[in-house]
Order: sequence, then C-alpha cells, then structure tokens
Amino acid sequence: MTDSRPLTLTPRIEPSLQSVLDETELLHQLADGLGSPLNIVLPGALAANVEAFRAVYRRHHLRGHVYFAHKANRSSALLRELATTEAGVDVASLGELQHALGAGFTPDRIVATGPKNRDFLGLAVRTGVLISVDSLDELLLLQKSGARVLLRLSGFTSTGVQTISRRSRFGIPFDRLDEALDRCEEIAGIAYHLDTIGPPEKAVALEGCLAAIDECRRRGLPVWSIDIGGGFGVNYLADGAEWERYTTELGQAVLGRRAPMTWNDHGYGLRNEAGTLRGALGLYPAYRPVSGPGYLDQLLATPAPEQRRPLGELLLDSMIDLDIEPGRALLDQAGLVLARVVSADGEIVRLDINAGDVSLEEHGVLMDPVLVGDRREDPTEVFLLGNLCLESDLITRRKVTLPARPRPGDLLAFVNTAGYFMDFSATRALHQSIARTVAVSRRANRWTWCLDDQYWPVHGGAS
Amino acid sequence: MRFDDMTEAIGNTPLVRIDADVHGLVNIDLYAKMELLNPFGSLKDRAALQMIRPLLTGARERGDTVVELSSGNTAKALAMIAGMYGLPFKSVTNRMKVPEVKDLLLLLGAEIDELPGQAECLDPTDTEDPLSRMHRTLSAHGSGYVHTDQYFNERNVEAHLHGTGPEIVKDLDGRAPDYFIACVGTAGSSTGVARALRQHDADVRVIGLVAAKSDFIPGIRTIDEVHEVGLFDPDVYDTIETISSDDAIDGLLTLVRRCGTPAGPTGGGAFQGAVRHLRALDATLTTRKTAVFIVCDRVESYLSYLRERRPALFGRPPRRFDVRSLTADEVDTAPAIDVEEASRWPGLIVDLRNPHAFQALHLDGSINIVDELFAEMLHGGLPFGRRQPVLLVCPVGEKSARYAALLTRMGHPAVKSLAGGIIAWRDAGGRLVRD
Repeated sequence: MTDSRPLTLTPRIEPSLQSVLDETELLHQLADGLGSPLNIVLPGALAANVEAFRAVYRRHHLRGHVYFAHKANRSSALLRELATTEAGVDVASLGELQHALGAGFTPDRIVATGPKNRDFLGLAVRTGVLISVDSLDELLLLQKSGARVLLRLSGFTSTGVQTISRRSRFGIPFDRLDEALDRCEEIAGIAYHLDTIGPPEKAVALEGCLAAIDECRRRGLPVWSIDIGGGFGVNYLADGAEWERYTTELGQAVLGRRAPMTWNDHGYGLRNEAGTLRGALGLYPAYRPVSGPGYLDQLLATPAPEQRRPLGELLLDSMIDLDIEPGRALLDQAGLVLARVVSADGEIVRLDINAGDVSLEEHGVLMDPVLVGDRREDPTEVFLLGNLCLESDLITRRKVTLPARPRPGDLLAFVNTAGYFMDFSATRALHQSIARTVAVSRRANRWTWCLDDQYWPVHGGAS
Repeated sequence: MRFDDMTEAIGNTPLVRIDADVHGLVNIDLYAKMELLNPFGSLKDRAALQMIRPLLTGARERGDTVVELSSGNTAKALAMIAGMYGLPFKSVTNRMKVPEVKDLLLLLGAEIDELPGQAECLDPTDTEDPLSRMHRTLSAHGSGYVHTDQYFNERNVEAHLHGTGPEIVKDLDGRAPDYFIACVGTAGSSTGVARALRQHDADVRVIGLVAAKSDFIPGIRTIDEVHEVGLFDPDVYDTIETISSDDAIDGLLTLVRRCGTPAGPTGGGAFQGAVRHLRALDATLTTRKTAVFIVCDRVESYLSYLRERRPALFGRPPRRFDVRSLTADEVDTAPAIDVEEASRWPGLIVDLRNPHAFQALHLDGSINIVDELFAEMLHGGLPFGRRQPVLLVCPVGEKSARYAALLTRMGHPAVKSLAGGIIAWRDAGGRLVRD
C-alpha cells in the first residue's frame, strides 16, 4: 500500500496573489532591503472578499453588518483599506479599538468583543461603539453607562437529539438570560460565537438566539439583530485529492506501514495503539471547498432543529439583521510571508524565519511554500528549520515538497498567511527581528509597495 | 416456531441463490446471506445480543444505561434489546447522517448525543478526540453506563464466528464457499465469518469492501476509518477493494428490483462489489465455484439518502399550480402596493412568515398561513373567492410577489403583494402588534 511519489500540498493561489509571486526581482529587492522574514499584504484583495459575503446576504434577502475580526491580522494597511469598504470591525483590545478609530472607522461600524479591562470598556463607552457583553459581571459594570450592548450567550441546549458543544469561556449562560435581561434597560442585539466548524451546533445556537429575541420582545425590549460571530474558514489547498492522499499516508506512517513523513515521526495527534489508529488528527482541514461565504450560505440554508425552517428564513421572518465577524475569511489571498534560505543540505533546509513568524504549525495548517523564481527541476522533499536556537523551532514538522532543490539566498513564500499566521505569534525572542510588513498595490499594471504604516488608500484621486 | 421473546428470532437467516440472469456469472453460483431478515432489521442484531447478554444482569441491578458509539443498526438493535429489559439506551455519535435512522432511534426511546465538530481555531495541545474522552468516561467504574464497545469488543466477532459463519457452511451442505465478500464496518461480521469459513477450508478467498475516502455509504467505513477500528486486522482479507456510493446504490436497485430483496446500501455495495470482483475471475475458471455475500439490512431507512443522491428515482409529475413554474416576467409584474396604500387595505391580509415570527409581531388584523402550507393549499386551487381582496405579506416582498403572481395566473383579480414586505412596513414606522 505504500506510495512513494512526493506528497505535495499545493496551496491555492488566485491570479492576483500569483502576479505578486511572479515579481521575482521586486521580492528579492524587498527582502534584501527590509530583511527576512518579510510580511506582504495585499489590501486590494479585501473589497472582493467583503462583496462575496454581501452576495450571500443578498441571496437570502438579509441585512446586517460584516465586521472584520481585527485579531486575525494587525496590519494598518489592511484596516485602512477595509475602512473604505462597507465592512465594520470587531476589536478585542484597547489597542485594536484605538487602531480602528485611527484607521477611519466611525464608532457605528465598530463592535468591541472579548475580555475587556476598564480602560477598554471606558473608551468603548466614551466613543459609543457597540459592546458585546461577555458575562453578567461585565453587564453590571456597564449598568447606567448608556452603553450600546449586545448580549453574548453560550450554553445553548437542544431538544431531541442532544447536540454537544465544547464548553466555552465566553458568553452569558443561556439559562441565565432572565437575570441578564433584568439588568438591561436597552439592548442592541443578541450574539453567540462558537469555536467549531460543525453547522449543527451553530444551528442550535442560532435558534437559541431567536428564542432570546422572542423573550426580549415579550418584555417590550425591541431587538433587531443577531451577531453570529466568525469561524467561516478558508480553503488553503488547490487540490482535494492531494489532501486526501496526504492524510491517508499520514495514518499509514503512524501505523508504521510507510516511511515517516514528519520530523521525529510526529503524528499530528494520531497514535498507534496495538495496530489501531487512535487519537484525532489535530490539523486544520486545509482543503475546505465549502468555506468563507459558502459556509455562511450553507448555514443560512440549514433547517433550524426545532422550527425546521431554514435559519435564514427564520431570521428574515422575524425581521432580524444578521451581523457576522469573519477574520481569516475576509483575508483570503490577502497576504504572504517571505523567508530567505540560509543553507540547504540534503533534506535539511535552514531559513531566516522562525515558527512564530509564520505560525502554520501552531494553527495546524499544512501547505507547501512557493519557491520564488519558478525554478522547476525534480520535486524535492525537505524539512524547514527556523532561526531560533531551540530544538522545537521547525517551520512545519511536515516534510514539505518544493519544485526544485533550494539554494542559499533563495526566497520561499508562504502564501495566504494574512489570516492569523503572519503576526499573531511573532516574538522578539533571542533578539531576532520581527518581520516588517509592506503593503503592495497594483498601479498602472505594476505592483508598487510601501511600508505598512505608510499606506493610506486613495481611491479615485491622485496619490 | 414458538419463542419466549424476540431475541430468539435472531439468526438462522436463509442463504438465497441470486439468479444467474441477474449477475451474469457463468461459472460461479452467487448466494446472499439474508441478514436483513433478523427481527430488528439487520446483521447487527447478532452482535448486539452477544455483546449485551453478559452485561444485562449487572446493568439491571445497578440501573445502568446501555451506551454505544453507533449511528445505525447496532444502536437500533441495542435500543430494542435494552428496552425489553427496561434499561435506557444512549447512542453517542458524530456520524449520524441519515435522518430516518435518527428518528427511528428516538421513536425507540433512545437518547442521542452528537459530538462537537472540530475547532475552527485549532488548539494543537488538545490531541484527544471527543470519542476517546467519551470512551474514558464510559469505562470509568461507577459511571452509570455499560458500554458494549462494538469496535473493540471481541464478542462482536464471536457472534459471527459461532453464528453467521457456521450457518453458511451448513446451508452449503457442509462446504465453505470459495469466495466470501463483505463490507467492512466494525469488521465484526467479516472477521468472524472469515474465521469460521477458514476453519473449514483454509483456501477461502475473503474480499473486504470499504468506501472511498471522501464518500459516504452508511454502515461502511472508508479506507482510512477502518484503521481506527480495533477489530480490524488487514490480514483477514485477501484483498481490500473500494466501492463508491454510486456502486452501492446500483447494487441496491438490482437487489430491490430484480431479486425480491429489500436491501439497504451496504447489501447493494456488497452485491456490486462481489459481481465486479468475480466477473474478472469468471472467464478464467474451469470448475464451478461458489461465492457468498451478506445483505446487511433493509432499504426503508435510507429513502432520504437515496433521494439526495438519485432524485430521478423519485420523480413525480409537476404540480398544477406551483410558484416554481412562474416566469421571471410574471414575478416582476406581480401586482404590488406600497406601505402607504397597505395601511388603508380593506380586505384580507395573509402573512406568509413562520408562526413564531407572526406571533411575535405582525400587522394588526392579518392572518398567518406559513408559505409552505399556502403552497400546498394552492396546488388544489384558490382558497378564497375572487371577490375577496387579498394582501400578501412576507419579510421583504419577494415571496409575496411570487404568490401574488401565481394567484393572478389562477384568475384572482384582486390580490396584491406588500412591496418591501413587513421590514419596509417596520422601517416606515408602521404599527406592529403582538397578541
């Protein structure tokens, strides 16, 4: 059953991102001048991603906000560009709120979520942004402040078939809704966010929110919106067959039926117990044909477990606006990370980048990097080692496949890394430098660049 | 036949020859082991009884709940047996994809727990799957559960080693078949039968059938999933072949339409996989051979599975009055009025939204007929007189326009749609009431 062809995982690259990768000379100049690693963002990709979500809204005749979950990337260029679209922004810290206000978002387009200290709450109340309240305690802090609040709920229950969800650290328990409503004079909406890719759990939660709105209306509190959070996902790979073959072979490797494919035989959560495969594959489903706007469309078409009508129609029937908080899905194809090859010896390739600079391993996303310069010889399987003096600093524990043997000085590009991967976990450990970020834009048929914080979108006028 | 209870009717199923005109094999006699004739409907009745029997006394004393990770036939059989002994049954699953099976289990009084999906933001330190965690909870002493553990329980294999396998040999006049073809689910039946047959004749060829990785055939594991099954041992099978859901449905249709056998997809897959494998050998044979496959369960539980994959099988004639038959032009020119005019509407107002939303807030004086129900009513003709003016209301005026167009086509002269729907009404400050 062993299969010795190289196990490629070709990333999905749309034409715009591909045309950046084709600029071999520009990419080398940037890495020479600004160092490795280097983050590149494509603000121009955002408008189409927002529009793709909006198209789903139109199909279901729904209205509501598309809030970008800022935590997915800290780039100013991306945020300033988003401010020129119709999207709003979801901020989860004082710094993010300041950043959003500074990028041009007016308070009516901002929602504050997540854990909040008094400073964050203070600025949120002062500027009048919407506050997604996470706990009864937080609600108490905001009483009589005049804040516009969303109640974030959790712990929804289902009848008939019990749909189990992992316990969440966020949200007011559904069975304490009455207590929460007793503390509110006015609420702007109901919210939930579940960290799962499973639509049945989200269907239970959304129907729970509808019940909560009904309760609000019964009490004479007019509520017109539900915020369903994010988690729409991205499809990272071009070819589903490659992903299927890779995951099958990984199981075979763990069972000892083929040569190891990972550093120290790492099983990504799978283990061999007496010849039976146990554990769970701890990887993001990198090939996800239904993701982003498609996932939202599917969720809205899912029948509610109790009322049996599609969720989208239930929202519409009750005149409820739908708010969403996509993070990585809005950043699809909007960025890449460059790393320089320091040395290449056999199956070991050393890079001037560390695992925190492109946290693929931390997020469990497997895909091959692109060798800048489109050199094609024999496909080569190599391990990518990082620049920290640490045993564990591997860019990925998977052996990646490159189209040619890398040489010192070559650049590798990790594509589609704007969502969570490029700066979420970057550190200055060992005095290694943190990647600079540049924004590239298409002007007069060529790519121009500037440092991230120098980027200001100018549409329809001279720049 | 007089029995004390239904479990005594488990087993001793017939071995039925498949007509050569149907399978087209010249040198091979093909037999089906009709496990669908077990009292609770499937092959799993045998394993369920075998696994639960030694646990019953203790479970009854302690008042334990019987629990199994099953999304289908094992759950069905266990629920019925547990019920006979007054014990509750719970099915834990992340694979219950067939709605009829779900409903049937609820009808039998089973509790169903669905496991959570994978996290969108991955926590790589959490390498334990929900199944393993569940497994540990269930196995803990004093948990209140007895776990039959079908994927690892050797008694699952024994049910077939001592039952299904020897029955086949007996019905073939004491000889083992030359070929045995089985779909692999828990691997219990294929392993047990193969072991029994080989005790008679070490040369029996055993062909295991699994589903392709991205495919879904209820009751059959995929090529990857079989490795998660404790009872699965690749050495049991001379070859392992893949079948698709299309193959399984083709086989099911042959069995249902030509063989008087109301088989489910697993039986269909086994038949199709058997014929495909044997056809290649048939031409090379010089002596007569015998082959046996298993028809695991019945077709009735899989109607929605079949409808989803082969809608053409359920083709019905088009309805007389149907919104789907409207042209874009008819919908565009449907009679509509704006909010201002609607506020002075003298006639009947029909709100097409769901009852829940209607009860929460609606236009004063309107009545609620949810659109699905309204569609059903219109198939039969006009549900109100032609002199009765009717205003249709939906969320944004899109559905109401379609029904107004349909009613117009049906000859109603005074039907209107509320342009922009109840949302436009609300936005214009129109009054909404709740009773």
